[in-house]
Amino acid sequence: MAFDYDKYLRVDKMPTLWCWGCGDGVILKAVIRAIDKMGWDMKDVCVVSGIGCSGRFSSYIDCNTVHTTHGRAIAYATGIKLANPEKHVIVVTGDGDGLAIGGNHTIHGCRRNIDLNHILINNFIYGLTNSQTSPTTPQGMWTVTAQYGNIDPTFNAAKLAFGAGATFVSRETVLDPVKMEKVLVAGFKHKGYSFMEMLSNCHINLGRKNKMGDAVQNLNWIDDITISKKKYDALPDDEKYGKFPTGILKEYDNPEYCESYDKVIEAAQNKTTVKL
Amino acid sequence: MSLVTAPQDTAVWVDISRCKACDVCVSMCPAGVLAMVAAPSSILGSMIEVVEPSACIGCKDCELHCPDFAIYVADRKEHKFAKITDEAKARAEAVKNNKYRKLSA
Repeated sequence: MAFDYDKYLRVDKMPTLWCWGCGDGVILKAVIRAIDKMGWDMKDVCVVSGIGCSGRFSSYIDCNTVHTTHGRAIAYATGIKLANPEKHVIVVTGDGDGLAIGGNHTIHGCRRNIDLNHILINNFIYGLTNSQTSPTTPQGMWTVTAQYGNIDPTFNAAKLAFGAGATFVSRETVLDPVKMEKVLVAGFKHKGYSFMEMLSNCHINLGRKNKMGDAVQNLNWIDDITISKKKYDALPDDEKYGKFPTGILKEYDNPEYCESYDKVIEAAQNKTTVKL
Repeated sequence: MSLVTAPQDTAVWVDISRCKACDVCVSMCPAGVLAMVAAPSSILGSMIEVVEPSACIGCKDCELHCPDFAIYVADRKEHKFAKITDEAKARAEAVKNNKYRKLSA
């Protein structure tokens, strides 16, 4: 008897539409195992996703799901969470979805510190629409919109989230699904905005033109650019450039938005102003 | 149909209707249990095969890394797994050098 993923899946939608070897499936499995570990009832979980390969998440997982417009997943999820503060809301966006078109929603979700679990799948490219430059595409890489090499400096999504005020920031890669599951459980338990960046592979749309056309080659490249947080902190400053630390990067407590909003309701009923 | 229960007393088994032949599980296996075989009817022309089920050490790396919910490993409580041997390590290395294809006898 192996772990029963099918219990949490819409089995009639299988096999997935993702390409062979796509890391999104590994992340979906880790999310399912984390939900199982948390013991959540699937009736109490809502998965909100935007547009992109990551948007398919809401099609495969069998709970309350909303497949929203491009980049607006955080906005929808904020509404869902405020209306149902006791439910668990998981937002899944890609790097283009959550950092480019939905970048504004991401930073303001972080700023409010609302209790959302934001999984940002970073595969360094717009995969669904066939390799356009995304905000995280490394410099020098070929994309269809940068055919002589990409010159745009990149976003560091985890630093952005921390700067914007998220109280739980982590980064993991698809190379270590066990650690990913642990980080997801920690994020789910955290009260406040949990920003979890997951580095994933896109060997089809990023790899093929950048000398890593196999899933395994692309995974090896991700392995090269990541390093655990402990080792990263010990590195001298000049060697830190281009490396991504993994693990739980920041975790602290701050007032949560739904709880603050209760004070607004109370103040409105008593016809006073909020006391913070 | 769910395939979470092992067909017989097997260590590792595959739902070939879901496998997309991405090679990831073969690259992760430390004991050379898995390999790809030619399958003309499959999309990429190859398909996963459990070549040496008796050598499986039960690390679950293949199951955890499979993006398509296609490969399953038995529970440690229900199946007695083998210990890793030098022969298994050498076979794993040989399969990887053989472009993840099954070694010809």
